[in-house]
Amino acid sequence: MSTQPTTFTAHDGTVQELPAQPRMGFAKWLGVIGWRHLIGIIAVVFSAFPLVYVVSASLNPSGTLTGSNQLFSEVSIDAYKNLFKDPSRPYGQWYINTLIIAGVTAVSTVFLGAIAAFAFSRMRFKGRRMGLMSLLLVQMFPQLLAVVAIFLLLTWIGDIFPILGIGSRLALILVYLGGALGVNTYLMYGFFNTVPSSLDEAAKVDGAGHARIFFTIILRLVAPILAVVGLLSFIGSFNEYVIASVVVGNSADTQTLAIGLFQYVSSETNSNWVIFSAGAVLAALPPMALFIWLQKYIVAGLTAGAVK
Amino acid sequence: MSAKTPLSVEEREVAATKAHATYSGGLWPWVFKIAILGVLDAGALYAALVLLNENSWGALAAVVIGTAILNIIFIPPNRFLPAKYLAPGLVFLLIFQVLAIIYTTYIAFTNQSDGHILNRDDAIAAVMAQKVERVPDSPSYKSAVAEKDGQLWLIVIDPATKATSAGSNDTPLAEVTGVELSATGAPKAAEGFTVLSFADVVKRTQEVTALRVPITDDPNDGYLSTTTGTSAFIFRSTITYDSAKNAMVGSDGTIFPDGGRGSFLNPDGTELTPGWKVGIGFENFTKAFTDKAIAQPLMRVMAWTFAFAILSVLTTFALGLFLAIMFNEPRMRGQKWYRVAMILPYAFPGFLSGLVWAGLFNQEFGFINQILLNGAAIPWLTDPWLGKLAILIVNLWLGFPYMFLVATGALQSIPDEALEAAKVDGASPWQTFMQIKLPLLMIPLAPLLISSFAFNFNNFNLIYMLTRGGPQFADTALNVGSTDILISMVYKVAGFDGGRHDFGLASALSIIVFLIVGSISYLGFRQTKTLENLA
Amino acid sequence: MIQRALKLSAALGVAALALTACGSSDTATTTPTNSATTAASAATSAADAGSITVWVDANREPVLKPIAATFKADTGVTVNLVVKDFGKIADDFIAQAPTGKGPDAVITAHDGTGRLVESGVVAPLELGDVTAQMQEIAINAFTYNGKVYGVPYALENIALLRNTDLAPTAPKTYDEMITMGKAAKTKYSFLIGLDPKSADPYHTYPFQASFGAPVFESDASGYTTKLGMGGDNGATFAKWLAAQGKAGIFNLNITGDIAKDQFTKKQSPFFITGPWNLEAIQKAGINYSIDPIPSAGGEAATPFVGVQGFMMSAQSKNPVATQSFLVDYLSTEAVQTALFEAGDRAPANKAAFEAAKTNKDVAAFGAVGAAGVPMPNVPAMGTVWADWGATQVQIISGKASDPAAAWAKMVTTIQGKIK
Repeated sequence: MSTQPTTFTAHDGTVQELPAQPRMGFAKWLGVIGWRHLIGIIAVVFSAFPLVYVVSASLNPSGTLTGSNQLFSEVSIDAYKNLFKDPSRPYGQWYINTLIIAGVTAVSTVFLGAIAAFAFSRMRFKGRRMGLMSLLLVQMFPQLLAVVAIFLLLTWIGDIFPILGIGSRLALILVYLGGALGVNTYLMYGFFNTVPSSLDEAAKVDGAGHARIFFTIILRLVAPILAVVGLLSFIGSFNEYVIASVVVGNSADTQTLAIGLFQYVSSETNSNWVIFSAGAVLAALPPMALFIWLQKYIVAGLTAGAVK
Repeated sequence: MSAKTPLSVEEREVAATKAHATYSGGLWPWVFKIAILGVLDAGALYAALVLLNENSWGALAAVVIGTAILNIIFIPPNRFLPAKYLAPGLVFLLIFQVLAIIYTTYIAFTNQSDGHILNRDDAIAAVMAQKVERVPDSPSYKSAVAEKDGQLWLIVIDPATKATSAGSNDTPLAEVTGVELSATGAPKAAEGFTVLSFADVVKRTQEVTALRVPITDDPNDGYLSTTTGTSAFIFRSTITYDSAKNAMVGSDGTIFPDGGRGSFLNPDGTELTPGWKVGIGFENFTKAFTDKAIAQPLMRVMAWTFAFAILSVLTTFALGLFLAIMFNEPRMRGQKWYRVAMILPYAFPGFLSGLVWAGLFNQEFGFINQILLNGAAIPWLTDPWLGKLAILIVNLWLGFPYMFLVATGALQSIPDEALEAAKVDGASPWQTFMQIKLPLLMIPLAPLLISSFAFNFNNFNLIYMLTRGGPQFADTALNVGSTDILISMVYKVAGFDGGRHDFGLASALSIIVFLIVGSISYLGFRQTKTLENLA
Repeated sequence: MIQRALKLSAALGVAALALTACGSSDTATTTPTNSATTAASAATSAADAGSITVWVDANREPVLKPIAATFKADTGVTVNLVVKDFGKIADDFIAQAPTGKGPDAVITAHDGTGRLVESGVVAPLELGDVTAQMQEIAINAFTYNGKVYGVPYALENIALLRNTDLAPTAPKTYDEMITMGKAAKTKYSFLIGLDPKSADPYHTYPFQASFGAPVFESDASGYTTKLGMGGDNGATFAKWLAAQGKAGIFNLNITGDIAKDQFTKKQSPFFITGPWNLEAIQKAGINYSIDPIPSAGGEAATPFVGVQGFMMSAQSKNPVATQSFLVDYLSTEAVQTALFEAGDRAPANKAAFEAAKTNKDVAAFGAVGAAGVPMPNVPAMGTVWADWGATQVQIISGKASDPAAAWAKMVTTIQGKIK
């Protein structure tokens, strides 16, 4: 394989040429691009239409969630205002809690997963194969009773370090980090393997140690997968309900969006779908914003060709 | 060429050896490392002292050994390199995931269930508390707790005669004089006594709740006891624990022996509730295999579980990959926004999506039948086969964004050279896909598909939200239906849908389900190329 | 054994924290600056006498806050109010109480009483004179094996809501109601929220009761665990239910959400529901009346009455303070009136209930509830729901070719599980 610089230029060249290409004929456009739009639109409809209900319900002051097919028959943003008005249900605080918990979890997960993947990909040691497989197998265990175990565990930890007991948002992050390895490591491991070791070697010749190779060379080259794992982890902990409700569910100020919002609809006799839907719509924004931001890293390799 | 396939073993070995040879150097990383280890050791030392104080020897040993291991791994430079990189993640994994598994395993060998969740001492206390009865038709007394001669006394006012009397644990109730009443009519002060404030009562809760003033010398007349400090009632114990007999003994002499299975037994052989948690060996496991109610629908449920998990993986992967490849076209405009829309199903809380879909599939009022299918009356959720189809559709919706994301990520790892070469060879797009892209993609993705299989195998939430396992089989005793998967059946068998929650049985069944899905996945992993590379 | 293992990991957790300090040190600073505990009132002079923790739901918490402050001022005991999801309180409580780390008291529905008592996690309460101040049905609801385990605060039940523009008079029987409904020429003659997965036995129960088929047989001390819904009466009800399903009057596809939507759109003169839907109906400008549920089988159509109240943990470290807060503070007329104003549920305290009756809706629902029966609080009731609902689905949908046989099989199955 060629050395890096040539690849860079070669690819940059091709990419830059693209917009300059002569206009395609409509038939060709249809064949290369047009059908993609058609499928894209179908996929968007499939993705979005169930959620149109949620948006409609959030705007309908007297609405039900699924009672009516007449979408957007009434529009009012009262629910969005009311979300922030109830001091016993501090939606703003939930939002901040969730962002911090999911954000820190995502960053830490990427870090823990990446260093483990680096070890699996670049180092030889006993039990490597079994180790990698065990990581995945452990996560297949049905979690029916996991919350009870976690409750007991945090209770004991909390006796020694109150800051890490039940009710601590930091403790919740630590619990989430228990799932940092596993699938994530595997995903990264596969990607790491595609980064040629000639790079490591070149760096070593220059006197770089393992840590520097990892942080300054490898990590940059695997950016797409770091972004993917980060996003998966962020969304996963953003919407997690079961463990969060046990760990931080005991005080309105420490709750996350998933727990707080669920209280709006948890019983038939007490449900408020309008406010709940409004809260869910707003709650869906951070994962999407994060995706928009990360997208350029996820598809960066595609246009820059930097990885190869 | 060499980059087309993952690194050969030699290449990586060379890399690793070289890494050993040079110290990663730098003063600041070293300072940073030592600082973190210092914080860790300080925390461990503190924990050790606390545990020492509590005489928790096992935990103490664990802290010391665990910290020592981490220090040994991290202090010497350039040694135990793999351990340095793996330890941080593994620590969390061991604490929060492996321990949950160990805990579940432990519960599987106990009879923990509603009625058997306390330990023995608490259960005995609870039985006695529940069997203490208020003497019928006895009045309630305004009361105060007071101290005299270093002992707690109860001062009460007879509601009928307004007479004041006092007594302690050793002294039966006797009339006292010189009691001053408060505005609410409760004793406020009394000659020779120091009346306790409520705060003091609360502080001495243990003593106050243990205060039982005999009414007379005959214990069968009952005793006065206060529940809140300010009111007292005449109670009578009907049952007490006799440790010599290892049994509860009723006030009429009835013996309730310890049945050996975590409860005392009534004379008719039924359990005296509450009981406590005891080990019962493999009983939960044998029950799983011998209970007819479980065995009867098991094969049908198992078949659907496999079909559901496999089809879910295939459909979500196919759609996710297809969309990922389709949007992987630099010349297409607006692909960024299409991608964002693809993430939508993933960004909404799952249970909300489940509820919305249940509404969409409503036979008469749902959007799908009413609008899309122009008023058709298709019983999406109540027909055995359509129910299965509906579940797969919803799971496709819920699951394809994940596959789309990982496939988009993995696509970036395919060397362009490989595709260029294929193009030059004049391969059709389909050939390029099948022969080059797909095999390359499968290297990182195959293990993910297997774990996705395992996830769906246990995808309880989806089933429960959409059909709750229904429609019910007509011919079984259990409330199990044609869309139930193993884990939702476990949930029902163990009484979690409203009956008597049997945690022991649920744990045992979870372990069995894990053994099934784990061994299948293990076999699957052995087939994947990724692991062959690892050999 | 497990205890040791878990402690071990607790220690390792510390190690893990330190190792990731680089990634998560920011979070340490995000620990709450504002304590969740109720601020003590300025007048507080009582010495600090410890604290108790009470689990409440989000709606009740604002009402209880000032009461907790009063309690603190009076006694020096801090009440930590912890907001929990109402539906999860019983399960979480049963899981956490045995560890000794659970709350001192919880707010919960009475139908879990038997399960909590038989698990030994709740302590009996001595209500004293408070008993006489409460509605009898509310005390009975929290009574198990002759002892009271809860301080009730609110009752709720369903009734028949009638759109007075579409049906000017209240129907006496179910058939009369259907006739009136047809005469109204609306889309539906009558609405009842069901569910394609599990029907809704709670809402259909009054009709079942009118056939003389109660869930459990009763004796002098309350419900037994012997099912009372089998036999000829049960069979007659099953056939009746099948007929209503066939006629399309009972429609599984009409969920509670859809039924509410249709009633607010004036698509039916009648709707079986509880006070929780009143707000939406008032908003829609419907003129309504709250009537007794008409009998279908000849006997009284008695709805289940659900009672909510406070229970004390058997593992409470502070039983005196907890009991005092529950019995002396939460049972009073003033508190119960405040709770009523927060949740619009009929108060359990008699005086508060009388006062709340100035609200005609509360009075009307209360009148229907007065004729109702408490939802059974024996643990066996938990076993009943799933099969009960699934069988009603079979019968209403017409999938059960012989409704009476399906019903009889259900009774056998449930009785088998209870034994």
